[in-house]
Amino acid sequence: MQRFEYPNDRETVNAARVRALEALLIERGVITGDTVDKIMAIFATEMGPFNGAKLIAKAWVDPSFMKLVAEDTMAAVEQMNFVTKGAGAEGEHMRAAINTPEVHNLIICTLCSCYPWPILGLPPYWYKDPSFRARAAREPRKVLSEFGLDIAPEKEIRTWDSSAQIRWFVVPERPAGTDSFSEEQLAALVTPESMMGVAIVKPPGA
Amino acid sequence: MPPKDNGSLCFSAPWERQAFGIALALSKQGVFEWDDFRSEMISSIAAWEATHDKTDPNWDYYEIWLTVLEQMVQRSGLVDQSTLGSF
Repeated sequence: MQRFEYPNDRETVNAARVRALEALLIERGVITGDTVDKIMAIFATEMGPFNGAKLIAKAWVDPSFMKLVAEDTMAAVEQMNFVTKGAGAEGEHMRAAINTPEVHNLIICTLCSCYPWPILGLPPYWYKDPSFRARAAREPRKVLSEFGLDIAPEKEIRTWDSSAQIRWFVVPERPAGTDSFSEEQLAALVTPESMMGVAIVKPPGA
Repeated sequence: MPPKDNGSLCFSAPWERQAFGIALALSKQGVFEWDDFRSEMISSIAAWEATHDKTDPNWDYYEIWLTVLEQMVQRSGLVDQSTLGSF
């Protein structure tokens, strides 16, 4: 005879809670069995860091577009025709912080995990970590160094706290040795980490 | 260990992805407003942080997410409390 095992493990309990909730919502006709998969597919194909990379590559080759990204980020995003509708509020009021030889920018959300979905997709796990959020606000230089990014002492680090009002992303500096690169080649160099400011875009082959 | 060690991982278990997707689906359908959901997240996270050390390994972002989601669903009147409370 099999003994009934009470789910005392937290993960098991949480998984059961989600299953129960989903089953009830399906039963009530609010969602269907593939609703979640359909939503998550949008993040795989239409809202992700591949969009941010395209926008940044365009800004690198087109100074007037870079100016627009800096001054009216949403107008620049509109020109790119990204899917922003499904993102709801996370796709509104996105703003870019532009890295320069003098300033390195870092984005965080000290309150929860506000994030520019259409440009960057879903935030990685560590972005939501309370200790990362608090320390990045307090001692960004040290936190960046733990990420393997040593910022020169003379360079200023600015930390931008995303919020219900504004969702930030970083426009990294164009790496040296890419003068002959096409927009597509440049976009391939831009990593999600560089658009959060926890990395820089490395020159090709570095 | 720097938090970035888990790289670009967004969900550490399938239930987290389901809880995330359900919340998005319900806000799209107008069961609740996304802004209201996020305000609840912000206050729930603040409440957790006020009572725990920031390095407490018991931190679980999506457990908070799930609890907020259940509360929002209950408040919407779609599902009554006794049904959800059985877990």
